[in-house]
Amino acid sequence: MATIADELAIERRGHRASAARRRTNFVIFLGPAIVLTILFFVLPVIIDIAVSFTDLGRSLRITEFTTEQYQKVFRTDRRLTQVIGLTFIYVFGTLAIFNVTFGLILAITTTAIQNVSGSFFRGVWLLPRMSPSVLYILLWLWAVSPTEAGLVNQVLMQAFGLRAPLDLLTTAPVALIIISNGFIGASMGMIIFTAAIRGIPEHLFHAAAVDGAGTFAKIRFITLPALRWPISFVTIYQTLSLLVSFEYILLLTKGGPFYDTTVYALYVYRRAFESGQYGYGAALALFLIVIGIVVALIGWRFFDMERLLQRPRIEVH
Amino acid sequence: MMFHWKIGTAALLSAALAGGTAAFVMATPLFAQEAVKLELWSRQDPSGPLRAGNVVKAAERLNKELEAEGSPKRVEVVVRESPAKGFDDDALQLLKVFGIGEGPDMFIAAHEWICAFQEDGFALKLDDYIAKYPQHFGTIFPSLWKAAKCPDGTYAIPQDAEARMFFYNKKLLREAGYDDAFIDSMPERTLSGDLTMDELLEIAKQVVDKTNAQYGVLHRPNKGPDYIMVFNAYGNDFADPETGNLLLERDKLAAAFGWFERGVKAGVIPANNTAMEFDALRKEFYTGNAAFWMYGIWDLGSVAFPTYGLPQEEKTFFEDWGWIAGPAAEKGGSPVSLTHPIVYVIAADTKEPELAVRLLGHASAADLNTDHAVTTTHLGIKPEQLEDPRYAEAWPLARATDLLKITKFLPNNAQFGELNGIIYAGIQGVESGRLSAQEAADFVIDEASASLKDVIVK
Repeated sequence: MATIADELAIERRGHRASAARRRTNFVIFLGPAIVLTILFFVLPVIIDIAVSFTDLGRSLRITEFTTEQYQKVFRTDRRLTQVIGLTFIYVFGTLAIFNVTFGLILAITTTAIQNVSGSFFRGVWLLPRMSPSVLYILLWLWAVSPTEAGLVNQVLMQAFGLRAPLDLLTTAPVALIIISNGFIGASMGMIIFTAAIRGIPEHLFHAAAVDGAGTFAKIRFITLPALRWPISFVTIYQTLSLLVSFEYILLLTKGGPFYDTTVYALYVYRRAFESGQYGYGAALALFLIVIGIVVALIGWRFFDMERLLQRPRIEVH
Repeated sequence: MMFHWKIGTAALLSAALAGGTAAFVMATPLFAQEAVKLELWSRQDPSGPLRAGNVVKAAERLNKELEAEGSPKRVEVVVRESPAKGFDDDALQLLKVFGIGEGPDMFIAAHEWICAFQEDGFALKLDDYIAKYPQHFGTIFPSLWKAAKCPDGTYAIPQDAEARMFFYNKKLLREAGYDDAFIDSMPERTLSGDLTMDELLEIAKQVVDKTNAQYGVLHRPNKGPDYIMVFNAYGNDFADPETGNLLLERDKLAAAFGWFERGVKAGVIPANNTAMEFDALRKEFYTGNAAFWMYGIWDLGSVAFPTYGLPQEEKTFFEDWGWIAGPAAEKGGSPVSLTHPIVYVIAADTKEPELAVRLLGHASAADLNTDHAVTTTHLGIKPEQLEDPRYAEAWPLARATDLLKITKFLPNNAQFGELNGIIYAGIQGVESGRLSAQEAADFVIDEASASLKDVIVK
């Protein structure tokens, strides 16, 4: 009897010890990540919500708590409709033309050609992403400069006999911000899709060839189905990052001419930091947070991301 | 014995202590100099480096004065330079700095911003101090003090003044077919209200059509004061004379925006003026690619002479270059010019307000201010400066003083800086073809009513 009781006691101690160890491991391994997540992701949202209910203005002082900022968002701000419309065009346009479609084309073509030249072209398309944003936009500013010295104008005027230089920053600003962001965005899709294409077992292509499939049939029936999840991932990830990023636009067009290229995130920045309306900026930013969460959830549901993140049932070697 | 010894020792010790203290007390003026650090916030601005430089120099004068008075205090000026591109950005930045309690003791600002600082309790009221030191402030032009006032008193010390105008390139006008008599009479005709804003566009159009010059009229590519001159010409004063609140008049705003609209339609003002770089615009004008440049007198000393080699000799300069005030909107109307004084302000929470006032008083000395005026072609603040031979030699100053007769100020309203941002966005909207003049007026009124307080709309 005594021995059994002793054994039970030892076992309990063991359980206690392993429970304690589990807790320690939890703190050691997940603690830093949790602390960082709270510090940099949760806390800012809470601060943003708090600030949005104040009248925090240009001298960073709060004199009252108020819902005035939300009344502004819904009632008096006449720029918002235009800004939201533009944001939709910008995000959807960049995503559809460059980040997914062009990224996919780059991946398929560079994996179809010889390895060396494929790597070379992928390297070239990675350059915009690797160069510092200020430098990248300086090059763009030179390329689209409205004078005869601009690269585009030099080409058009000397090679195609155009008379007067074009001013693309004034005449086609939305196209410019989509293209300049797209050139960078395409490379991420390209890398992920290339990796996925490389992961498709070679014998499937051979089998398809035996069955008489041509290039397009192979892409249609083997490559694209295998890319379903990478495409979902790139779409969701890039939607979110396009929604909140505005540094290239700020550097290239400053959101202008007028409000033509002021996307939502840049609008928040202009309100808060150019006019010193921090309370109002915080209220606007809150909608961006909400939209971000909604888009992520829709994507999760729509593209069945949960399955993508599941542990594989069997291990394949 | 013990007792005696003790008394003896005590006596000796006390004597030593007393002697030491006496020596220490006597030496105090030498050792106990109390250094007072006064921090000055100043924007890095090539068109006025002596605004801060003069305050640093003034510290020497003040310290001598303090020494003569037998005061133990000595002032040391620490300059905190901000990299902001313009006075508007700088003011917004400084408001934040004050907001978190890190404000300087004194700062340099554009006059229309002072009431924003006063409203939040960051600026020191100066009326009593100014009255106390007539030797420093007594002779400053009374008109300049207007620019230093908020509703309940004086909150700043004028540092300089200037005049804003349309510079023009006489060579291009001659090439376009205007004769010398016409070209040389333009300043007079403008001052008498005979030359109008639209005639200016017409002249500019002739230049663009008939010469190789690409541009007719260029203006600054960021938020600032000069283009407000155009709005003034069309009757916008932006302040209600009774309440001091911001005043927006739809028709007058639309009329002013209309001038920019016509300018762009005529191919005279480039549609992308607001997207160009400041230096690029200057280069276009000073190298002969534009007929008019709407800017201010200090541009001659700060940029035109040193960078583009425009003739510094008066007669040679006026052979090929000149300037006119802002023309009247209609024949017989009033021409306009704008002066935009920069001011010194003292922080409400400085520990040494008295010393700061005296320091800025010395910085406002006629000779130091003249150093600033003649090196950067800004107008002085005191009548004594006019007698300085250096001032008299700097002919742009004397010539620009003519414009002071018709000059206006921006309103000293705490919200004018923000309103100006909206007006600038309106100009950008009109020039880039996104808004009509009427829509721009509506835009300014909508935006201002939504984001500013107590705006009167007519």
